[in-house]
Formats: sequence, structure tokens, C-alpha cells
Amino acid sequence: MILKNIFIEALRSLWGSKQRTVLAIVGIIIGIGSVITMVSVGTIVQEEVLNQFREMGTDILTFTKGKETNTGRGLKVGLRLADSLNLPESCPDVKNTAPYTHLNGTLKFGGKRMEIPALGITESFKNINKLTLTEGRFISDLDVFMYYCVIGEDVVKKLQKLGVTDLVGTKVNYKDRLFSIIGVVAGVSENKIRPGDINRGILIPVTTAMRISSNHEVEKVIAKLTPKGDGKAAVSQIKRYYKTVANGLSVQVQTAEELIRQMQTQMRMFTLLLGIIGCISLIVGGVGVMNVMLVSVSERKKEIGIRRALGARQQDIRRQFLAESVILCCAGGIIGIMIGIGASYVVARFFDWGFLISNIAVVLGVTVSFVAGVFFGFYPARQAARLNPIDALRAE
Amino acid sequence: MLKLADIKKSYRLGPVDVNVLKGVNLTVEQGELLSVVGTSGCGKSTLMNIMGFLDSPSSGVLYFEDKDASYLTDRQLSIIRNQKIGFVFQQFHLLSRLTALENVCLPLIYRGMDKHQRFRIARDMLAKVDMSGLKDHKPTELSGGQQQRVAIARALSGSPSLILADEPTGALDAKVGQDIMNLFLDLNRNHGNTIIIITHEPGVAKQCKRAVRMRDGMLYED
Repeated sequence: MILKNIFIEALRSLWGSKQRTVLAIVGIIIGIGSVITMVSVGTIVQEEVLNQFREMGTDILTFTKGKETNTGRGLKVGLRLADSLNLPESCPDVKNTAPYTHLNGTLKFGGKRMEIPALGITESFKNINKLTLTEGRFISDLDVFMYYCVIGEDVVKKLQKLGVTDLVGTKVNYKDRLFSIIGVVAGVSENKIRPGDINRGILIPVTTAMRISSNHEVEKVIAKLTPKGDGKAAVSQIKRYYKTVANGLSVQVQTAEELIRQMQTQMRMFTLLLGIIGCISLIVGGVGVMNVMLVSVSERKKEIGIRRALGARQQDIRRQFLAESVILCCAGGIIGIMIGIGASYVVARFFDWGFLISNIAVVLGVTVSFVAGVFFGFYPARQAARLNPIDALRAE
Repeated sequence: MLKLADIKKSYRLGPVDVNVLKGVNLTVEQGELLSVVGTSGCGKSTLMNIMGFLDSPSSGVLYFEDKDASYLTDRQLSIIRNQKIGFVFQQFHLLSRLTALENVCLPLIYRGMDKHQRFRIARDMLAKVDMSGLKDHKPTELSGGQQQRVAIARALSGSPSLILADEPTGALDAKVGQDIMNLFLDLNRNHGNTIIIITHEPGVAKQCKRAVRMRDGMLYED
């Protein structure tokens, strides 16, 4: 009964000094709002990353040449195209491979020049990266040394701007060689396994790319496991394979699982960092509430004195002020949660991520604001309760 | 019902002890109307604080309803103030945020009484002081005399054994002051309330059945 009255009294008193209430609440709103935004955005990003892997599948790994390359004697050998294409025959857990290499160059068309990347690829690149074509055909393994290219969506837009309507069959000049467009690849999202230049650049036969750059090695190989393939087994098979065929070449393998784990660790660090920032702003907000409550106590000394004279115990006074600071903080917390959810929605829309409301964030926000209310209200409430009734009555 | 035996009170003011009460003896019977008269600074406010359980004596024994009540904890003092004492102050001391009716309810909240019962009692008390018509007004909308009536209703709401009035007419003009005084006389005569009025006005003291004079920390019967 008394508690209910204390609650109503606290609400009335806060309503009675609206300006002060609003000022006190602002800090908490910002604090809780940023904590919620950070936790929500963190969750959204993590979900987004995991979604990418769900799309690509986790039965994929990539490898590059290791740092300490050839440990054997004799000729140093790199990541040769033939070795990577023959790899599945010697590694039972690997189904197929997609070696690729990377070029930068100028594409000239209709008097315009544009700097775009090119990826030298094999036929298997399409399926491993789950690419689809909107027009024409993909690079075939029969297109050895051919000047054919498949173009990404950004290049499509640029060419369309220049008035090209029939993309397939059009010839473009890339690195001073004339390429025929044979297909158009649909836009794909970027991720840790898929090379990022699919949308931005052109895809050409890996043999052609190696000839243009006079390079005898591929840069990176994407490998897909057999349906029952084991990631760890595949890694050791690949390493053993290169030791044998490439004169002791060491390779650095990254599995999808490993990438997910790395990313989760990064996310955890990110969330922790943002959490700390949020906590600091929450402490600043809480100190603001404490300050406002202390002002309120000294302004209402007389009221405290009257209540004490009428029989309020110290405990009643303490609870009354504590209720005010808890209500302040919780109100700030709820507004903060709404702002935080709104802000994370805006962020998610901006980066085109799937939006979701993190339950943890909401529960965390409410709990934290309640605890902040008790924590930062305790000292002022104790001050109020400890006032001598006679001195309090005399106060003006 | 209230007995003070050799009550002393001293405050520490810097390096010196100030003796405000120097051994006060007083017995107040049930149903009495007593005035304590004295000039300002003579210690009558300190005496009132001790009799109202807002303060504890430095030495001496205070009997309330035949029980030694000199050294109680804050919690016990609060309970006595809430249930046994009704205060009326010179400056009324109403809470400006609350209506007259809610102000009268205030002591009952701390008893944990439910809202319905509180409001019923408060309405009765406002009727007793002839303020029923203004029950929903806030103190700022009332005159001094009206505010003091609300304050008296508040003091009465807890049906206390003792009403302590500290200069109840001090902030009012003569006519309104006399109205309030008449109200006290009526409460004492017709309702049997025990009332102690602290005042510096001889005119007020004269109307009380019994008056004691306070001078220099000591009490003298008139």
C-alpha cells in the first residue's frame, strides 16, 4: 500500500518539475540508446555475416601460398595452375577447385577509359561461388588463351550509359587487348570467400590473365569439399599435396569454419568496445540523474521535514526519492531502447542488412536502467532520509 | 498523559555548549488546553520539538501516556509522531503540490491506510474545520486562515492524543487568528482534544484554561 503511494507520489513530483525531469532523463536516454544501438547493430552484423556463409556453404576453403614458401632444395615452385587443377585427384576430401588470379587495368570503350579489375578464372569458379548469368554464357575450360570476358553488374551499368544495348558480342579493349563479351553475371553480395571484384570488374579465362601478366602462378584457390568431406582432413591433404608436387611449397589454408570463428572473435571485440563506450555514457547519464536528485533533495528539504513531522520514517523518505530516480532512469531507459532500435533500423537500412530486434538488448536496456536508477539514486535518497526533521522544517 | 521531568537540552555551538532547556518540569493532563508563552529565543520551540518527538532531550525523562519515551529510535519517534501527535505550524506547512484533501490524507498514508478510508476520514476532518467546500483547492488558492484550517484538519486526521500548535495564529491577522483560536477552543471543549499552544501573544494565552511561562530555559506556572 505504502509502496503504491510512494510510486504515485514520485510520478506526481516528477511531473511537477517537468523541465528538470527532462534534463535528467537526457543523459540516460543517450546512454541506454547507444548501448542498445551498439548491441543491436552488433547482432545484426553478426547475423548478416553468418547469412553469407549460409549462402556460400561452409564446405568451402581457400588457400594461398604460405609465407615461407619452398622448404625443399632446388627450384622454387609457386602455386601453379596445373597443380591446383589436379589437386582433387590426390585429395579425396576435395571435390573441385577454382584457382584464380587478379589483374588491374584500363578498359577502353567508345572513347571512355575506366580503371577496373579483372579476375582470371576457370569454369569451376561459377558453381563454387554460386554465380548466375543474366545473359550469354560463362567462361569455359575450353576458352584457353581466348580473349573472352564475362562482365559484372557495375561494368554493365557503365556500358549501358555509353549506349550499348546488345552486351553479348560487344568488343571492349582491356589492357590493350580486344575482348569479346560472352556473358553477363548477376550481381552478388561480397564475402570473405568470394572475391570482391566480381561485380566491379570482368572475368576472363585464367590462362589469358596469366599470359597478359606474364605470371606463372595463380593467386588464390577456392576448394569445395566432397559432400562427406572433412575440413580438417582436406587441409592436411592439401598441405601434403603441395609439399609433394611443388617442391615442398607450404600453403596457408583458411576454412569457412575458421573464418566464421575469426569473425565472431572480431565481433565480440567490437561489441565489447561499443559496450564500454555505452557504459561510459551511461555513467555520465547516471551522474546527471544523481545531480538532479541531489538538487531535488535540497529544494524539497521543507517537504521532507513536513513529511517527517507527520510520521514518515527515514525508510519512507528514502524509498520516495529512490522511486523517483528509478522512474527517471527507467523512463529514460525505455525511450533510449526505442531510440536505439530506431537507430539500428536506420543503420541496417543504410547498409542494406536484414533488421532484427535483439531481445538481449531490450532486456539489457531495462535491467541496466533500473540498476542505474537504484545505484545513482541511492546516495541522494540516503541524504534525504538522514536529514534532521527540525533542520528540514526550518529550511526555506 | 504527558510528563516532563527535569528535561535539559543543550546544543554544541562551535566550542561552547548552549543550554537551551535547563530542567523543565511539566505535566499535561488528558483534555487540557495549555499555552506555553515566552519571548522568542527563550527555548519554547525546542520544548515543542521535544514534546512533539521531533527531537530528543539531552537529559531528563519524558513520559508519554505513562511510558518513558525519552530515548527512542528514529523509527519509534516516527511512529509516535504519526499516531499520537498532530502538528499545527505557524507557516501552515502544507504541501503546495497537493490539494487540501490530499494534504489532510498525508499522515494516514504512512499508516498504510487504503485510499478509500483515507479520503473518507479526510473529508470528515475538513467538515469539522468548515472547509468541505474547498477540499479540491491547492494551498496557493487558499487564504492564510483557510490554509491553517486545512493544517488543523491534517493534525486531527490521525486522531492524535495530543495536538501541538506552534504559533498557530502568528501569521494571521487578528480577526482570522481569533477564528482559528475559536476552532481550538471548540475542539477542546466539545471534542475533548488535548491541545498545547506555543505562543508569544498574551491574548492567546489568556483564552487557554492553563498557561505556563517560559523564561531563560525554565518553565513557570502562571
